[in-house]
Amino acid sequence: MSQSNTRDGKNRRANIAATTPGEESGLVAERIRVTIDGTLLIDNVDCTVARGSLSALVGPNGAGKSTLLRALTAVQAPISGTVQFGDEDLLNMPRRARARLAAFVEQDATTDSAFTVEMVVKLGRLPHQSLWEADSAESTAIVASSLDTVGMTDFRYREFHSLSGGEKQRVMLARALAQQPQLLTLDEPTNHLDIAAQLSVLELLAELRGTGVTVLAALHDLSLAASYCDHIIVLSRGRVVAAGATEVVLTEQLIADVYGVTASILRNPVTGKPVIGFSPAAP
Amino acid sequence: MAKVSPLALGSALAVALVVSITVAVTIGPADIRFDEVWRSIASHLGVGVSPLSELRDGIVWQLRLPRVLTAAAVGAGLALSGAVMQAITRNPLADPYLLGLSSGAALGAVSVLLLGAAVLLPLAAFIGALLALTLTLLLAGSLGAITPSRTVLAGIAVSALASAITSFVIFWSVTGDSYREVLSWLLGSLSGARWPAVAITMAAIIIIGIPVMMTGRLLDSFAFGDLQAASLGVNVSATRWGLLGASALVTGAMVSVSGSIGFVGLILPHAVRLLVGPGHRALLPLSALLGAVFLVWADTLARTLFDPREIPVGIVTAMIGAPVFAFLLTRRKSST
Repeated sequence: MSQSNTRDGKNRRANIAATTPGEESGLVAERIRVTIDGTLLIDNVDCTVARGSLSALVGPNGAGKSTLLRALTAVQAPISGTVQFGDEDLLNMPRRARARLAAFVEQDATTDSAFTVEMVVKLGRLPHQSLWEADSAESTAIVASSLDTVGMTDFRYREFHSLSGGEKQRVMLARALAQQPQLLTLDEPTNHLDIAAQLSVLELLAELRGTGVTVLAALHDLSLAASYCDHIIVLSRGRVVAAGATEVVLTEQLIADVYGVTASILRNPVTGKPVIGFSPAAP
Repeated sequence: MAKVSPLALGSALAVALVVSITVAVTIGPADIRFDEVWRSIASHLGVGVSPLSELRDGIVWQLRLPRVLTAAAVGAGLALSGAVMQAITRNPLADPYLLGLSSGAALGAVSVLLLGAAVLLPLAAFIGALLALTLTLLLAGSLGAITPSRTVLAGIAVSALASAITSFVIFWSVTGDSYREVLSWLLGSLSGARWPAVAITMAAIIIIGIPVMMTGRLLDSFAFGDLQAASLGVNVSATRWGLLGASALVTGAMVSVSGSIGFVGLILPHAVRLLVGPGHRALLPLSALLGAVFLVWADTLARTLFDPREIPVGIVTAMIGAPVFAFLLTRRKSST
């Protein structure tokens, strides 16, 4: 990753040059454009996520974070651009193979059905199973270990819709883990959660990074992004305005430019990580 | 968690279906015994048993057995279509009748029956069903995201339109006695079902219904909506339109012999969900089996309740289905 911190996007190409393509390269997206109903939501975005890193995608509401995440895993395909993960062309590979490589957790997933927690996590095995075969011992074991990883084993027979927001998010994470992905993208996984639940989700993501999974999460809370994420991609009005190591990218000036608020970057006395304080208007 | 083992329920329903068919054939103005039902079937299948008298054999083989078998196939097909549509539209209130498919199929069939259009009846019913479904989904989609309540509202509008055109066609072309016949068919009736009806409905179940029953895992992936299904490697639009088209085809085949029988697709999948839970791998085949048993008995009631007069079976299913529908509505107070 480069440490570029540009507003005008002219230097975006430099971000890519810093990563060597090949076996060990992570997610490399180039010239992604997405239109929905004729409106250009993602405008020629290049971005990279280093393999085995935990990266944050931040930006104001409406910047296009959800749209970009969906485009990167082809859940909603972009109109143009390429997405590579290692040697795989994510946008042009078979769907089921892609779902074994990359998992996506959407924002605030809800269901009307009375699915139990275990049934929800089992959905993650779909790309690994044919339609009519019984669940293999291996699949059952992966579902169990995914539930265990997120600490929801005791909830496995509970109905999903009866869970709290934090519990639901952990179940959806377990569902993604059951896909055994190498790339995990999450759309605001801490949305609507209390602070303890937010920290527990981010701790889980940090743990996953430790197992070699590449994680990219859209986040709203810049302090949390700064304390947990190695890299940060800043999106504004459908363009990447900055990307790179969190501490380098996240400056008071950038926050003022992107969000239009005055920010003060402080230090957490316990962790030594940046904490961002705000006052309403830009200077 | 499954409350009843799907395998146990499936076996019980399979036995219940065979028993129901046999018992239903014995019921009616002429008393037929169990053993006579089996003797008639066996003799027609070429097994060496002494045949019944020509009159009694005619009652079993020409009248009652094809009607009861058609009832079973129609019940299975409508319940299966309902379960599939509920999963694909994420709408627990979806049903071939509520989404306008039945009315569309009826319009197609009536047009052929009365206007003498040169198309096969089942094909016309299918085209009508497919047009109505497309119109319903387009209308629901034009209001914004396709939500359950929008789909039902759009279905009511399309259904009303199709019914109005059907009524127009009937008043334009029906005279005298045939009016009563057409009306009874429109309300859903199996009184005319003979062996060709068995052939059409059974073919629809075997050729389309059984493959559809194998798609349970795909339907499960829609539980959280299209995005999640797509992220699990499912081809969302091919699956949606393929399965909705298959449902329209099955419904069209059923309506072409029975008229539009309401609520079978709505209430039976819900009953099965209460018993075994929401997983579609068990839900689809069990809904079909329960639908078959249900309609065999509903039709038996329809032809015997006010003996010697017969009422259309659609009235019986609506009498049972409407209160169940009301109950389902009250359980969904909070959602849109």
